Amino acid sequence: MVRRLFSKRHRFGKGVHKDAATIGASACLAIGVLLFGQGAFMTAKAEIAQILLAKAWTRAIDGEIAPTPWPWADTWPVARLSVPSLGEHAIVLAEAGGEALAFGPAHLSVSPQPGDPGTSVIAAHRDTHFEFLKDVEIGDELMVELSDGSSVAFRVIDTQIVDATRSGIHPEGGPSRLALVTCWPFGSLIPGPERYVVWAERTEKANSSAST
Amino acid sequence: MASPHSRHQTGGQAWFGLTIAIATFAASLFLWSDANAETLPEQGSVVDPENLVRLSEINEGALLLKTIDDGLYIPAPLMATDVQLDVSGPVVRAIVTQRFTNPSESWVEGKYVFPLPEDSGVDRLRMQIGDRFIEGEIHERQHARRIYEEARAQGQRASLMEQERPNMFTTSVANIGPGETIVVQIEYQDVARLTDGTFSVRVPLAITPRYIPQNSEYLLTSSNGGGELNVADANRITPAMMFPESEPEDFLRLPVSISVDLKPGFEMGQIASRFHATMVDRSRSDRALVTLADGPIPANQDFVLTWRPADETHPSAALYTEEWDGATYLLAQIIPPATLGADIPRRPRETIFVIDNSGSMSGASMRQAREALIWALERLETGDKFNVIRFDNTMEMLFPNAVNATENNVERALSFARRLNAEGGTEMLPALQAALVDQTPEDANRVRQIVFLTDGAIGNEAQLFSAIDQGIGRSRLFPVGIGSAPNIYFMSRAARMGRGTFTHIGQVSDVAVEMERLFTALERPVMTNLDALFSQDALTEIWPAPLPDLYYGEPVILTARLDNAEGAMIVEGQLAGSIWREHLSLSDTTQASGIVTLWARNRIRALEETRFQGAPPQTIDAAVLNTALEFHQVSRLTSLVAVDATPARPDDAPLQSRDVPVMVPDGWDFEAVMQRRNQSPVQHALLDENTLAMLRPSNAPDVAPVDSNGIPLPATATPRGIMMLAGLILMLIALIWMVANRERRLW
Repeated sequence: MVRRLFSKRHRFGKGVHKDAATIGASACLAIGVLLFGQGAFMTAKAEIAQILLAKAWTRAIDGEIAPTPWPWADTWPVARLSVPSLGEHAIVLAEAGGEALAFGPAHLSVSPQPGDPGTSVIAAHRDTHFEFLKDVEIGDELMVELSDGSSVAFRVIDTQIVDATRSGIHPEGGPSRLALVTCWPFGSLIPGPERYVVWAERTEKANSSAST
Repeated sequence: MASPHSRHQTGGQAWFGLTIAIATFAASLFLWSDANAETLPEQGSVVDPENLVRLSEINEGALLLKTIDDGLYIPAPLMATDVQLDVSGPVVRAIVTQRFTNPSESWVEGKYVFPLPEDSGVDRLRMQIGDRFIEGEIHERQHARRIYEEARAQGQRASLMEQERPNMFTTSVANIGPGETIVVQIEYQDVARLTDGTFSVRVPLAITPRYIPQNSEYLLTSSNGGGELNVADANRITPAMMFPESEPEDFLRLPVSISVDLKPGFEMGQIASRFHATMVDRSRSDRALVTLADGPIPANQDFVLTWRPADETHPSAALYTEEWDGATYLLAQIIPPATLGADIPRRPRETIFVIDNSGSMSGASMRQAREALIWALERLETGDKFNVIRFDNTMEMLFPNAVNATENNVERALSFARRLNAEGGTEMLPALQAALVDQTPEDANRVRQIVFLTDGAIGNEAQLFSAIDQGIGRSRLFPVGIGSAPNIYFMSRAARMGRGTFTHIGQVSDVAVEMERLFTALERPVMTNLDALFSQDALTEIWPAPLPDLYYGEPVILTARLDNAEGAMIVEGQLAGSIWREHLSLSDTTQASGIVTLWARNRIRALEETRFQGAPPQTIDAAVLNTALEFHQVSRLTSLVAVDATPARPDDAPLQSRDVPVMVPDGWDFEAVMQRRNQSPVQHALLDENTLAMLRPSNAPDVAPVDSNGIPLPATATPRGIMMLAGLILMLIALIWMVANRERRLW
């Protein structure tokens, strides 16, 4: 079968040394391995980073200012986000540059801190840390622990699909809100302009000091 | 041993494989860089020539904007405004009708930034499509914006009205079809201003281009945790401006027509418009209809109408009430007798003159300010002390400290004043702080007054308000607004916080009259500790609270919510040691509509002002939001939105967004303003980013933190999936290939 296919093609082929076949195949293999490895590395990075971050987070709660999870990191944990109903949690990093997002959800520094007046925006990748957003439903409770030990409770009030350049999210002013942002649609392989936003509103329930 | 035949074969395979490998690798690289690119704001690089036109391609009246390519233009939407004022007593109801016309062949979104009187109570938005009216609903600001954006995305006609500053608003209209006109009507409540027996109402038409301080050095020294640092909404309050020479010559781009139905409740004497020619129909003695004499006017000079009673000795108090939701709302206007305190001798004073000589003042404004300063300097008497401070982006004090008004010193100040030229930016804060420094706070013999001459063309109002509140001490602040379109919101709020009064000079010929009025007020004693008393069970809330000090010629104006509109009210105040008291019967009131809105507007304003006295922002937000929603008011936290349920735009037709550029106020030197800002006069998306980059001149704005579309979101998908997939496919191909080769060798 394979031979038949190739024998059909040979008429169009040009004379090349037979080693070319080996070189071509090896190159193909090498690039394939490289690509796969890079992809796998991203997955590993995302997973391992959260473990290192968990350690940095305990240092943050202990009062260290901007504790970097590893010495050369340009970001540090600012909050811990959890969804009790799904059993999901993640350490949120400062500033959503390209770097921070590789390691965990990032809090956009143009937006206020979760719990402060205005809309706080946390973004993460749809295929790693915010994969669980697709299961979050209206009415679900979100908890955000801050580095000063306090925690703020939010309740999901709406979900929305927006364009990345026209998010309609205005961080300043208004009641205390949380917008969790990730790419849409879930499961797609190609990055697109659409974003999925989960809107949550602060509930008056928790503001306790969780001292450990 | 391979035959030439098979060599050919393998060569074909090699090329085939290599091509696939390179293509896949390139594709994944592309996807990767694409994902990265999304984290950055989009940079305009390629301009769609579809959006640009040549003069020869235009065969109908349309507004065009010049681009950096000579001969190429961008068509912009047209806007017509009609203002109808209904004045009964001092209560003004205004209906502003805006017609958005789309002269282009594509579906557009129109956006117009426009001024309204400061703290005007906007409570109604209607959108007219054909002969149908769609009533706007009040919603929390962000919610309203989301409703609007959803409608826009679904191709429905929608309009949104938002507040940018208490005197600056934006209407957005989505999905205006090719050649279509959409009418948006907004209504607001205002109250006529009474000074010296003359009522006046102002319709702001021009927007003062705001200077946004770039340098944060002053911010660090000044604010004690004031909250709003710098100007986060800089690009929302600096709308696109049209070059004066680009304004079409044969028709008005932003024509405004105005009509006023005047029923002041008394027989009128003189009726005058300050800056525009008007026609007055006075066929009835208690009513006048005022229209513009020469048809529509350009939107570059505020419209001001004044009227006086024929009988100058008309009653000194007027009470208006409105019933709403079980309560009575009261508007009271009481004029203290003019003779009050006239015999009290003038006290010596320490007057600090601050004069703005920034680029925005260039032209007629600078002449007015200079004249006003010279007038005031000549009025100084021996025994007074004074100093002069001028500022643009630099600052200069004539004397290190306030000096005696000797002939010599005054002469020096006069020649300093004559030499003033308008240039540079408007860094007002350091000058204001210098003026507030009081060397002799214990001096009880002299009154300390700051006369502040400016057009208020700044965007960092909040910082200045905090500085005034913290530094005012025994000083009193008297802002003098200069030019055709001063920032009245800033001036009057600064006057209230500085416990002074606000004066407006609109043209050079007004200088003497207005300065005379101000100085009479400065020299007469001030009425303090004003209070309004009601019977015990009647009153629930009174605004403003506390009542501001009263200068000569000013009336007491207050709004109150009463549970019980019976009995009497007593207004009392202190003037130079004696008590002034006035009894008024509440049974003797006139019914009027709109009092509720005025009351709510005053309440919101008072709540907002507590910010500068250190009230927590959450408390203010909650209180403002509740009031605004209950009384249907547009505020900092609420917007009106109207959506037509039937979709208009076909799914496949794209929507383009356009800002309607505002006009440069009359008397402004456009070059000076724009040089000063050192950024493009057309600042944000006229059409789209790419086309915007083509506009002349094309310097990018320095500050653009948050735009009206909300913050841009980062890319939140890794190419991990596609990379791993591509990797797997490549490995599989390589494997098959190798297996195929081996197979052949075995043959």
